[in-house]
Amino acid sequence: MKKFLSIIGLIITFFIIYFLQANFFTWFNISGIMPNLFVMFILFIGLFIGKKIGFALGIILGIYLDLLTGKSVGISGLMLGVIGLAGEYLDKNFPKDSRVTMILMTIGATVFYELGEYIFQVLKWNIQVEIFPFIKILLVEIIYNIVLLIILYPLIQKTGNYLEKLFKKKAVLTKYF
Amino acid sequence: MYRNKKTGIIGIIITIIILILVVILSNIDVEKMSYIENAFNAFVMPIQNGLTYLKNKIEGNNSFFTDISKLQEENEELKKKNSELEQSLRELEIIKSENETLKEYVNLKDKYQNYQTIPAYIINKDITNYNETIVINVGEKDGIHPNMTVIADQGLVGHVISTTQTTAKVQTIIDTASSVSSSITTSREAIIVTGTLDKASTLKATYIPADATILENDKVETSGIGGIYPKGIPIGTITEIIDTKNITDRYAYVKTAVDFKKLETVLVIKND
Repeated sequence: MKKFLSIIGLIITFFIIYFLQANFFTWFNISGIMPNLFVMFILFIGLFIGKKIGFALGIILGIYLDLLTGKSVGISGLMLGVIGLAGEYLDKNFPKDSRVTMILMTIGATVFYELGEYIFQVLKWNIQVEIFPFIKILLVEIIYNIVLLIILYPLIQKTGNYLEKLFKKKAVLTKYF
Repeated sequence: MYRNKKTGIIGIIITIIILILVVILSNIDVEKMSYIENAFNAFVMPIQNGLTYLKNKIEGNNSFFTDISKLQEENEELKKKNSELEQSLRELEIIKSENETLKEYVNLKDKYQNYQTIPAYIINKDITNYNETIVINVGEKDGIHPNMTVIADQGLVGHVISTTQTTAKVQTIIDTASSVSSSITTSREAIIVTGTLDKASTLKATYIPADATILENDKVETSGIGGIYPKGIPIGTITEIIDTKNITDRYAYVKTAVDFKKLETVLVIKND
């Protein structure tokens, strides 16, 4: 029951993030560039809950995002799904109770997601590659994500530890053996 | 290895199936998935509509405590009138400045008169940094269909790419995947304008004919080629011409007539 309620809580959190992105961050942005909280959210699920739920929620919520505002359906689902899946592997190899490693993981996930999305767009719509503008946007987005991560870190840790206890009872500290 | 081999294989199979599904989905046109979109929109759009409404109230562009329905009706009527006036004014300016193509523009005016437009307001903008799509508050039940042209008072906004019962998704001309066949109003040279990542409200004009004379401040409008946009809708003004070694590669930047940052209301041109 607790697990089910937690999943419902995560879905509600997703919608809160969606409305933040669609309203608050369209105004509160850095020279027109918004952060990407969805990447952080799915990475968080993969890290603390595990790859199965991370992957499933990544795919479903990503496709949902594509349907709401995207030009094509699927790529966000695929990229977020992979981030959710990778979360557990990152958890086994890096300590997530360190702020620095969390920042590095967020940078990696943001680069992976945006690069994947952009390459897909270039291939699907045959658009001209604009390397420097892309890098500029990506760097600002990464900085924005890092800032938000630092702000939200205590909340992420607290909620994450609770969810980890709930979902990964048998897997405690396996990485140290 | 502590993992069961069978579980691993099942996991791989599930992953492959999901991957195939994602690939199939990614190749389906968004417009063909409107029924799923309908269901998904039902969750988000009412709240998004409410938030946009609330935002408008906070910004003070409406009266919150008065007769809302009456004001909305009045507002819609005024919006339509305003757009019609702007449109008439634009046509007049074109006719004044372009003697050579006077006849053509008179025809265009007639053509515009035949267009039925539906006013709408933007309820959602894209939540990523690389797409420039918007969602408007009119949909299939208002007679909106994919590929309909969307304009604002100042000029071209984009075209509808998918619809639900109550909303429509519009790909704007500043989206990097957008490409509009256009022409320069003075020389009538055909060019292609595409969206860029670089600057907001700036388009890149390419495929400029080698013998074409283009100057800064030249106006750009739709050429009518391509089957989506009608001819003669203003797109923007040339702000910078970049000359390259090879003259066929030269390009120009076009500042859009529409200020996309401040864009709130639009008109959808009904095809039929």
